[in-house]
Amino acid sequence: MDAEAANRGTEDTHKSDACERERKRRRTGAHPQSLRWKSPTEQQSYSSKLLEALHHARRTSTSSSAANATPRSRAVREAADRVLAIAAKGRTRWSRAILSKCRTLKLRKKRVAVAFGRGRHRKPGFSSPAEAKNPPTLERKMKTLGRLVPGCQKLSFPSILEEASDYIAALQMQVRAMSALTEVLSSLGSSSPSSSDPNS
Amino acid sequence: MSSRRLRSRQSSSTRITEDQIIELVSKLQALLPESRIRGNDRVSASKVLQDTCNYIKSLHREVDDLSERLSQMLATTEMSSAQAAIIRNLLTQ
Repeated sequence: MDAEAANRGTEDTHKSDACERERKRRRTGAHPQSLRWKSPTEQQSYSSKLLEALHHARRTSTSSSAANATPRSRAVREAADRVLAIAAKGRTRWSRAILSKCRTLKLRKKRVAVAFGRGRHRKPGFSSPAEAKNPPTLERKMKTLGRLVPGCQKLSFPSILEEASDYIAALQMQVRAMSALTEVLSSLGSSSPSSSDPNS
Repeated sequence: MSSRRLRSRQSSSTRITEDQIIELVSKLQALLPESRIRGNDRVSASKVLQDTCNYIKSLHREVDDLSERLSQMLATTEMSSAQAAIIRNLLTQ
Protein backbone atom coordinates (compact mmCIF):
# COMPACT_ATOMS: atom_id res chain seq x y z
CA MET A 1 0.00 0.00 0.00
CA ASP A 2 2.89 2.35 0.65
CA ALA A 3 4.32 1.62 -2.78
CA GLU A 4 1.01 2.72 -4.22
CA ALA A 5 1.13 5.90 -2.25
CA ALA A 6 4.65 6.49 -3.50
CA ASN A 7 3.52 5.95 -7.07
CA ARG A 8 0.69 8.37 -6.65
CA GLY A 9 3.22 10.84 -5.39
CA THR A 10 5.28 10.50 -8.53
CA GLU A 11 2.22 11.13 -10.63
CA ASP A 12 1.91 14.46 -8.92
CA THR A 13 5.50 15.20 -9.94
CA HIS A 14 6.65 14.94 -6.36
CA LYS A 15 9.30 12.44 -7.24
CA SER A 16 11.85 13.88 -4.85
CA ASP A 17 9.32 13.77 -2.03
CA ALA A 18 8.52 10.14 -2.69
CA CYS A 19 12.22 9.22 -2.80
CA GLU A 20 12.84 11.13 0.39
CA ARG A 21 9.95 9.39 2.07
CA GLU A 22 11.28 6.01 1.09
CA ARG A 23 14.76 6.88 2.28
CA LYS A 24 13.35 8.15 5.56
CA ARG A 25 11.35 4.99 5.99
CA ARG A 26 14.36 2.76 5.46
CA ARG A 27 16.63 4.81 7.62
CA THR A 28 14.52 5.28 10.70
CA GLY A 29 12.26 2.27 10.29
CA ALA A 30 9.48 4.71 11.08
CA HIS A 31 5.87 3.65 10.99
CA PRO A 32 4.81 4.51 7.42
CA GLN A 33 1.38 5.52 8.68
CA SER A 34 2.68 8.71 10.33
CA LEU A 35 4.43 9.82 7.18
CA ARG A 36 1.28 9.26 5.14
CA TRP A 37 -0.34 12.20 6.87
CA LYS A 38 2.27 14.50 5.38
CA SER A 39 1.65 13.54 1.75
CA PRO A 40 -0.29 16.11 -0.29
CA THR A 41 -2.25 13.30 -1.96
CA GLU A 42 -3.58 12.21 1.40
CA GLN A 43 -4.57 15.75 2.25
CA GLN A 44 -6.34 16.27 -1.05
CA SER A 45 -8.22 13.00 -0.71
CA TYR A 46 -9.24 14.02 2.80
CA SER A 47 -10.35 17.47 1.62
CA SER A 48 -12.60 16.14 -1.10
CA LYS A 49 -14.10 13.46 1.14
CA LEU A 50 -14.72 16.05 3.82
CA LEU A 51 -16.41 18.30 1.29
CA GLU A 52 -18.65 15.44 0.19
CA ALA A 53 -19.53 14.61 3.78
CA LEU A 54 -20.36 18.22 4.59
CA HIS A 55 -22.43 18.60 1.43
CA HIS A 56 -24.29 15.41 2.26
CA ALA A 57 -24.80 16.45 5.86
CA ARG A 58 -26.27 19.76 4.77
CA ARG A 59 -28.69 18.08 2.41
CA THR A 60 -29.92 15.67 5.07
CA SER A 61 -30.14 18.32 7.76
CA THR A 62 -32.32 20.60 5.65
CA SER A 63 -34.74 17.76 4.95
CA SER A 64 -35.08 16.65 8.58
CA SER A 65 -35.14 18.99 11.53
CA ALA A 66 -32.13 17.38 13.14
CA ALA A 67 -30.24 20.65 13.05
CA ASN A 68 -31.78 21.62 16.37
CA ALA A 69 -30.06 18.83 18.26
CA THR A 70 -26.49 19.54 17.21
CA PRO A 71 -25.15 23.01 16.46
CA ARG A 72 -23.74 23.30 12.96
CA SER A 73 -20.13 23.69 14.03
CA ARG A 74 -20.40 20.52 16.12
CA ALA A 75 -21.76 18.69 13.07
CA VAL A 76 -18.86 19.95 10.97
CA ARG A 77 -16.34 18.91 13.65
CA GLU A 78 -17.85 15.45 13.88
CA ALA A 79 -17.86 15.03 10.11
CA ALA A 80 -14.23 16.15 9.95
CA ASP A 81 -13.22 13.70 12.68
CA ARG A 82 -15.18 10.89 11.08
CA VAL A 83 -13.59 11.39 7.66
CA LEU A 84 -10.19 11.62 9.35
CA ALA A 85 -10.78 8.36 11.18
CA ILE A 86 -11.84 6.69 7.95
CA ALA A 87 -8.69 7.96 6.27
CA ALA A 88 -6.69 6.12 8.92
CA LYS A 89 -8.10 2.89 7.48
CA GLY A 90 -8.67 1.28 10.86
CA ARG A 91 -5.00 0.88 11.63
CA THR A 92 -4.98 2.94 14.78
CA ARG A 93 -6.91 2.76 17.99
CA TRP A 94 -7.91 6.41 18.02
CA SER A 95 -9.50 6.13 14.58
CA ARG A 96 -11.50 3.07 15.56
CA ALA A 97 -12.59 4.81 18.76
CA ILE A 98 -13.85 7.83 16.82
CA LEU A 99 -15.81 5.64 14.42
CA SER A 100 -17.39 3.57 17.18
CA LYS A 101 -18.29 6.78 19.03
CA CYS A 102 -20.12 8.05 15.94
CA ARG A 103 -22.12 4.90 15.53
CA THR A 104 -23.40 4.38 19.09
CA LEU A 105 -26.75 5.91 19.91
CA LYS A 106 -25.61 6.39 23.49
CA LEU A 107 -23.70 9.41 22.31
CA ARG A 108 -25.68 11.89 24.38
CA LYS A 109 -25.47 9.80 27.53
CA LYS A 110 -21.76 9.40 27.02
CA ARG A 111 -21.33 13.14 26.67
CA VAL A 112 -23.02 13.78 29.99
CA ALA A 113 -20.89 11.17 31.70
CA VAL A 114 -17.72 12.54 30.19
CA ALA A 115 -18.68 16.06 31.19
CA PHE A 116 -18.99 14.96 34.80
CA GLY A 117 -15.77 13.02 34.62
CA ARG A 118 -13.93 15.95 33.12
CA GLY A 119 -15.29 18.29 35.78
CA ARG A 120 -13.87 16.08 38.48
CA HIS A 121 -10.49 15.82 36.88
CA ARG A 122 -10.15 19.54 36.40
CA LYS A 123 -9.87 20.14 40.13
CA PRO A 124 -6.28 20.93 41.05
CA GLY A 125 -4.50 18.91 43.69
CA PHE A 126 -6.63 15.84 43.39
CA SER A 127 -3.69 13.50 43.95
CA SER A 128 -4.11 11.12 46.87
CA PRO A 129 -1.58 11.53 49.71
CA ALA A 130 -0.43 7.94 49.34
CA GLU A 131 0.73 8.32 45.74
CA ALA A 132 1.90 11.89 45.54
CA LYS A 133 5.62 12.13 46.04
CA ASN A 134 6.14 14.41 43.02
CA PRO A 135 2.75 15.88 42.06
CA PRO A 136 3.33 16.44 38.32
CA THR A 137 4.41 12.86 37.73
CA LEU A 138 5.09 11.28 34.40
CA GLU A 139 2.19 8.96 35.07
CA ARG A 140 -0.31 11.75 35.54
CA LYS A 141 0.79 13.34 32.28
CA MET A 142 0.45 10.02 30.51
CA LYS A 143 -3.08 9.75 31.85
CA THR A 144 -3.89 13.24 30.58
CA LEU A 145 -2.46 12.33 27.21
CA GLY A 146 -4.45 9.12 27.22
CA ARG A 147 -7.62 11.09 27.75
CA LEU A 148 -6.83 13.54 24.97
CA VAL A 149 -6.33 10.88 22.33
CA PRO A 150 -9.65 9.14 21.64
CA GLY A 151 -9.88 5.57 22.81
CA CYS A 152 -6.56 5.53 24.61
CA GLN A 153 -7.53 5.93 28.22
CA LYS A 154 -6.31 2.63 29.56
CA LEU A 155 -3.43 1.80 27.27
CA SER A 156 0.15 1.07 28.18
CA PHE A 157 2.89 3.69 27.96
CA PRO A 158 4.28 2.76 24.55
CA SER A 159 0.82 2.30 23.02
CA ILE A 160 -0.30 5.74 24.11
CA LEU A 161 2.88 7.28 22.75
CA GLU A 162 2.44 5.51 19.43
CA GLU A 163 -1.21 6.47 19.13
CA ALA A 164 -0.42 10.05 20.12
CA SER A 165 2.27 10.34 17.44
CA ASP A 166 -0.08 9.19 14.73
CA TYR A 167 -2.97 11.23 16.10
CA ILE A 168 -0.92 14.43 16.11
CA ALA A 169 0.24 13.86 12.54
CA ALA A 170 -3.37 13.24 11.49
CA LEU A 171 -4.62 16.32 13.33
CA GLN A 172 -1.98 18.45 11.62
CA MET A 173 -3.24 17.25 8.27
CA GLN A 174 -6.81 17.88 9.33
CA VAL A 175 -5.95 21.47 10.20
CA ARG A 176 -4.11 21.99 6.91
CA ALA A 177 -6.98 20.53 4.88
CA MET A 178 -9.71 22.46 6.69
CA SER A 179 -7.75 25.69 6.40
CA ALA A 180 -7.37 25.16 2.66
CA LEU A 181 -11.06 24.39 2.36
CA THR A 182 -11.96 27.53 4.30
CA GLU A 183 -9.76 29.63 2.04
CA VAL A 184 -11.26 28.16 -1.12
CA LEU A 185 -14.80 28.71 0.16
CA SER A 186 -14.09 32.24 1.27
CA SER A 187 -12.52 33.15 -2.06
CA LEU A 188 -15.53 31.68 -3.86
CA GLY A 189 -17.90 33.52 -1.59
CA SER A 190 -16.22 36.86 -2.08
CA SER A 191 -15.85 36.57 -5.85
CA SER A 192 -19.42 35.59 -6.69
CA PRO A 193 -22.68 36.31 -4.88
CA SER A 194 -23.88 32.71 -4.75
CA SER A 195 -26.37 32.87 -1.91
CA SER A 196 -29.41 32.67 -4.16
CA ASP A 197 -31.75 29.72 -4.76
CA PRO A 198 -32.25 28.10 -1.38
CA ASN A 199 -33.37 24.49 -1.63
CA SER A 200 -36.31 24.67 0.76
CA MET B 1 14.35 -1.33 15.42
CA SER B 2 10.98 -1.58 13.76
CA SER B 3 10.89 -5.31 14.51
CA ARG B 4 11.40 -4.61 18.19
CA ARG B 5 8.47 -2.23 18.17
CA LEU B 6 6.23 -4.67 16.33
CA ARG B 7 7.08 -7.46 18.74
CA SER B 8 6.37 -5.31 21.75
CA ARG B 9 2.96 -4.40 20.42
CA GLN B 10 1.96 -8.01 20.03
CA SER B 11 3.33 -9.40 23.29
CA SER B 12 1.94 -7.35 26.11
CA SER B 13 3.67 -9.48 28.71
CA THR B 14 7.22 -8.33 27.89
CA ARG B 15 8.64 -5.62 30.08
CA ILE B 16 8.63 -2.21 28.48
CA THR B 17 12.23 -1.23 27.85
CA GLU B 18 13.63 2.18 28.55
CA ASP B 19 14.92 2.37 25.00
CA GLN B 20 11.49 1.88 23.51
CA ILE B 21 10.08 4.68 25.58
CA ILE B 22 12.97 6.98 24.73
CA GLU B 23 12.51 6.21 21.06
CA LEU B 24 8.77 6.89 21.13
CA VAL B 25 9.21 10.05 23.16
CA SER B 26 11.77 11.36 20.69
CA LYS B 27 9.42 10.55 17.83
CA LEU B 28 6.68 12.51 19.59
CA GLN B 29 9.06 15.35 20.19
CA ALA B 30 9.91 15.49 16.50
CA LEU B 31 6.27 16.19 15.73
CA LEU B 32 5.99 19.09 18.12
CA PRO B 33 6.43 22.51 16.59
CA GLU B 34 8.95 23.65 19.21
CA SER B 35 11.36 20.82 18.58
CA ARG B 36 13.03 22.67 15.76
CA ILE B 37 14.05 25.52 18.02
CA ARG B 38 15.44 23.66 21.01
CA GLY B 39 18.32 21.23 21.01
CA ASN B 40 16.67 17.85 21.00
CA ASP B 41 18.80 16.21 23.64
CA ARG B 42 18.11 18.52 26.52
CA VAL B 43 14.38 18.05 26.79
CA SER B 44 13.07 15.65 29.42
CA ALA B 45 10.33 13.12 28.80
CA SER B 46 8.09 14.93 31.23
CA LYS B 47 8.42 18.16 29.28
CA VAL B 48 7.75 16.37 26.01
CA LEU B 49 4.57 14.86 27.44
CA GLN B 50 3.45 18.23 28.76
CA ASP B 51 4.13 19.88 25.41
CA THR B 52 2.36 17.06 23.61
CA CYS B 53 -0.77 17.46 25.74
CA ASN B 54 -0.75 21.21 25.18
CA TYR B 55 -0.18 20.77 21.48
CA ILE B 56 -3.06 18.33 21.08
CA LYS B 57 -5.34 20.68 22.98
CA SER B 58 -4.34 23.57 20.74
CA LEU B 59 -4.90 21.45 17.64
CA HIS B 60 -8.35 20.54 18.93
CA ARG B 61 -9.12 24.21 19.49
CA GLU B 62 -7.93 25.01 15.99
CA VAL B 63 -10.12 22.31 14.48
CA ASP B 64 -13.10 23.57 16.47
CA ASP B 65 -12.39 27.07 15.26
CA LEU B 66 -12.15 25.93 11.65
CA SER B 67 -15.35 23.91 12.06
CA GLU B 68 -17.10 27.01 13.32
CA ARG B 69 -15.95 29.06 10.35
CA LEU B 70 -16.74 26.30 7.88
CA SER B 71 -20.23 25.86 9.29
CA GLN B 72 -20.92 29.57 9.00
CA MET B 73 -19.63 29.70 5.46
CA LEU B 74 -21.58 26.63 4.42
CA ALA B 75 -24.70 28.04 6.01
CA THR B 76 -24.55 31.23 4.02
CA THR B 77 -23.58 29.71 0.69
CA GLU B 78 -25.95 27.21 -0.81
CA MET B 79 -23.69 24.77 -2.56
CA SER B 80 -24.92 22.89 -5.60
CA SER B 81 -23.18 19.74 -6.73
CA ALA B 82 -21.60 21.65 -9.58
CA GLN B 83 -20.07 24.11 -7.17
CA ALA B 84 -18.86 21.24 -5.00
CA ALA B 85 -17.07 19.81 -8.02
CA ILE B 86 -15.45 23.17 -8.72
CA ILE B 87 -14.29 23.42 -5.12
CA ARG B 88 -12.86 19.95 -5.28
CA ASN B 89 -10.88 20.89 -8.36
CA LEU B 90 -9.56 23.98 -6.68
CA LEU B 91 -8.40 21.91 -3.74
CA THR B 92 -6.44 19.50 -5.85
CA GLN B 93 -4.35 22.13 -7.57
